[in-house]
Amino acid sequence: MEKKIGVYICECGPNIAEKIDIDKVIDAVSSLDDVNVVDRYKLLCSVDGKKFLEEQIKKQGLTHLVVAACSPKQHEQTFMEVCENAGINPYLFQLANIREQCAWITEDKDEATKKAIILVKAAIRRVRYHVSLEKKEIDSNPDVLVIGGGIAGIEASLQLASSDRKIYLVEKTSSLGGLITNYEKTFPSMRSSSEIIKQKIQDVDKNENIKVFTDSEVEESLGFFGNFQVKVKKTTEENEIVEFNVGAIVLATGSTLFDPDEIPRYGYGKIDNVITAFEFEKMNLSGVILLKNNKPPKSVAIIHCVGRNEKGYCSEICCMYSLKFVRYLKDKLPDVKVTNFYSDLCIPGKSDQKFYEETKGKNVDFIRATDLEITKQGDKINIKYKNETNENSLPIDMVILSPAVEPTSDAFKLAELTSISLGDGGFFSEEHEKLGPVSTSTDGVYIVGCAQGPKNISETVVQAGAATGKILSSLIPGRKIEPEIKTSQISESFCIGCKNCISVCSYGAITFDETRKIAVVNEVICRGCGNCVAACPSGAANIKHFTFNQIYQELMEAVK
Amino acid sequence: MSDKEQYTDVLVIGAGIAGIEASLMLSTSDRKVHLIEKTSYTGGTVIKFEEVFSNMECSTCMVSPIQQELLQDKNINLLILTEIEEVKGSFGNFTAKIRKKASYVDLQNCIGCNECFEPCPVSLKNEFEEGLSERKAIYVPCAGALPNAPMIDTEHCLRFKGKDCRACQEACMFEAIDFNQKDEKLELKVGAIIVATGFNTFDPKQSPEYGYGKIDDVYTAFEFERLYASNGPTDGKILLKNGEIPKSAAIIHCVGRDKKGYCSSVCCMYSLKFNHYLKSKIPEIKISEFYTDLCIPGKSHQKFYEKMKETGTDMIRAGEIEVTKQGKGMAVKYNNGNGKKSILPVDMVILSPAIEPNDDASKLAKILDISLDEYGFFKEENQDVSSVITSNSGVFIAGCIQGPKNIQDSVSQASAAVGKILSLSR
Repeated sequence: MEKKIGVYICECGPNIAEKIDIDKVIDAVSSLDDVNVVDRYKLLCSVDGKKFLEEQIKKQGLTHLVVAACSPKQHEQTFMEVCENAGINPYLFQLANIREQCAWITEDKDEATKKAIILVKAAIRRVRYHVSLEKKEIDSNPDVLVIGGGIAGIEASLQLASSDRKIYLVEKTSSLGGLITNYEKTFPSMRSSSEIIKQKIQDVDKNENIKVFTDSEVEESLGFFGNFQVKVKKTTEENEIVEFNVGAIVLATGSTLFDPDEIPRYGYGKIDNVITAFEFEKMNLSGVILLKNNKPPKSVAIIHCVGRNEKGYCSEICCMYSLKFVRYLKDKLPDVKVTNFYSDLCIPGKSDQKFYEETKGKNVDFIRATDLEITKQGDKINIKYKNETNENSLPIDMVILSPAVEPTSDAFKLAELTSISLGDGGFFSEEHEKLGPVSTSTDGVYIVGCAQGPKNISETVVQAGAATGKILSSLIPGRKIEPEIKTSQISESFCIGCKNCISVCSYGAITFDETRKIAVVNEVICRGCGNCVAACPSGAANIKHFTFNQIYQELMEAVK
Repeated sequence: MSDKEQYTDVLVIGAGIAGIEASLMLSTSDRKVHLIEKTSYTGGTVIKFEEVFSNMECSTCMVSPIQQELLQDKNINLLILTEIEEVKGSFGNFTAKIRKKASYVDLQNCIGCNECFEPCPVSLKNEFEEGLSERKAIYVPCAGALPNAPMIDTEHCLRFKGKDCRACQEACMFEAIDFNQKDEKLELKVGAIIVATGFNTFDPKQSPEYGYGKIDDVYTAFEFERLYASNGPTDGKILLKNGEIPKSAAIIHCVGRDKKGYCSSVCCMYSLKFNHYLKSKIPEIKISEFYTDLCIPGKSHQKFYEKMKETGTDMIRAGEIEVTKQGKGMAVKYNNGNGKKSILPVDMVILSPAIEPNDDASKLAKILDISLDEYGFFKEENQDVSSVITSNSGVFIAGCIQGPKNIQDSVSQASAAVGKILSLSR
């Protein structure tokens, strides 16, 4: 089809008109191939300007549009909408930035005019190689798979479930509730944990839109946002496999505690009455705090930061749960002497310091210490430590170790299943540290709670809510999904099957076709980042609207 | 919810990072959003930072794409220079009365060329730059502000003080200056409200021992952020008041912590970030960080700290800190824990003050019929259930107005507030 390119130069008031000789630019480009009309206008982004452009496109029967004006960041979208309204494909348009990259930075008017001519010519040459790109729409399934039946998974399920959205809640143990069921109370409210969790579990049981799979694990997950095919295996009942489809997946697999066995100087597993935080929670929940000899301890040491150096991060909650242990101990054994060994007291947030102030008091000591060593001494335990000035030791009846929080052992398998990555500390990696805390590199897969990183219950519940928000706002029953338009395309004839592109794709969008021995892009998953284009040695990979040829043509004109 | 008419539109108060995130998500779900912001720009506090921890990503580069998206989003009605005056009703059916202050610049005509600033005869301290640079009575707070919307400061504009000045109007080629603009009172019908009005920092003048306001070259964290910012008052040059490059600097954590009664959770990390700022511009500078307890929770932060330690910075655990003038520079006196008093001479002191609620938090709480906690932050209904729910069931809170937190946690709360609204009012 014959091309009819319209070129319009914006004066941007005095901004461009005073710095660039627009008439000279018009003269220089008017006779170029396919250029049908060249004109100037005082302000193209104004209401009148947009109307003018729209009428011009229709009146002149233009097929392509070039606008020379400001930065694409400012008004590319504006002019693409003008194209759409005028009935031409918005991708048959190119914006030449002659304001920020020319008028505003080039002092000499002749030089600025020369540069503007080059930029406009390059845009004209580029637009001739543009092709129409169309929006795609695909059906989506609003149902959600939630993996992990702790407080995060339960909270997400309850908020997500509705008559038009089924939730599949998969829990690997035999019951819902997660770690919190082992705690008597939660800090800093010191409310009963079972009160918090029991009601929620009942709500899940009553909710006919939530299907719970206990003793179950996810075996397979294929597909993409809006369309995942999932296989869940019952670990009892002869490994029965259930298959279903969902539109999104929430990973709420929680955390476990660092094993103090790895640090022999704490004496865990060798010395009686040296127990972990988790063991102490269970003991406290049972109602009595006793030594191995069934006598109540007269003195207890709580050791913070166990495994912090080995893990390489502060687990955020250990100081606070250690303080909670002081409360447990003082509740049950008012005369007990409690000594906290800590390195830095980490009690962030508006309520935690108050909790600390209220925990301090009679027979509760805080010792900042390093180089702790725990040994057996007769019936007792001896703690050797260094404080700021010297070496000391303390005989004690019971030692509670507060170990670091770490990801569960199945994190690696689940990350592989859902094509997301593990980052710092082996926790699931979020899409963006600041702006995408619950999203991942796989669209439609969300991470919440301690599976994403150590955090307290309140923050865990917030993240469950955050994932809920993401899903409810983007995966709407009956609404189609619009994937990225400017995706990668791999030429079948150029591909040499080296798989470089597959290894650099962050989104799992490229697979290898074993029969044809070529890489194939799933355009629904691809986000057009261009990694594969840079990695492809044979020039087979290209991003739509940023193809080699389009960039080459533009560049050749600019450097001519 | 009552049997009154149910509205689906949402009012978001505050166009910082939390408000932007919430608005964009609501728009994705096809909700109409009224986003009101009391200043003339979006992005809130985050756009004052040059870089954010722990990836040291350029902050404005991180936020500007979503600021752009916000401006182009047809479901979002952004109202700048706007404050809320009255709210009536309940979840599903609120009537909010708001006042949009006149900017005296017609944004339909204004193209943001800034030609009107130069001729303005009035010079004032620029609040956005923490008073470290000057602005005119017609201005945008900083280069690159989005929307690029100049406004007239009527408190200081000569014309509004009765003089016949029309310098800006004469300079404008687009007839965008309109002295006859009036404040607008609007009434919005919305189903739910998200409050994301952010925070303030503790004023170190309340703790005179740090010498702030009396001794040159004692800076607050925000002042230092602007000194380092490439779009800031010094174009990113870190200089002392006398124009010299500092050879040594002290960064003091926990300023105001004792007075406020809580740990602000982000100060240690941003103080460590400042170490990076200083070293990247002045590699040979000697830095000492004075702290009490290092609070760097989370999976990525200790790694950041370890890397910072390699730069040779002294980490000094100290109490009873006092900053005094000494010769051309300053002396930091401190107690290092063993009861020993020490003195360190430095050229520059940077104070890392606590986070506190915004000045208008209590006024806003009254208007919205929600409670404040003992520190003046907005009170969550129940921390164990969800920190974004308030005592008024249709009003949700996100970001530092609920309590001190980092960007990630603010964004999570914003998403969670949206989640609550979408799941409770389908």
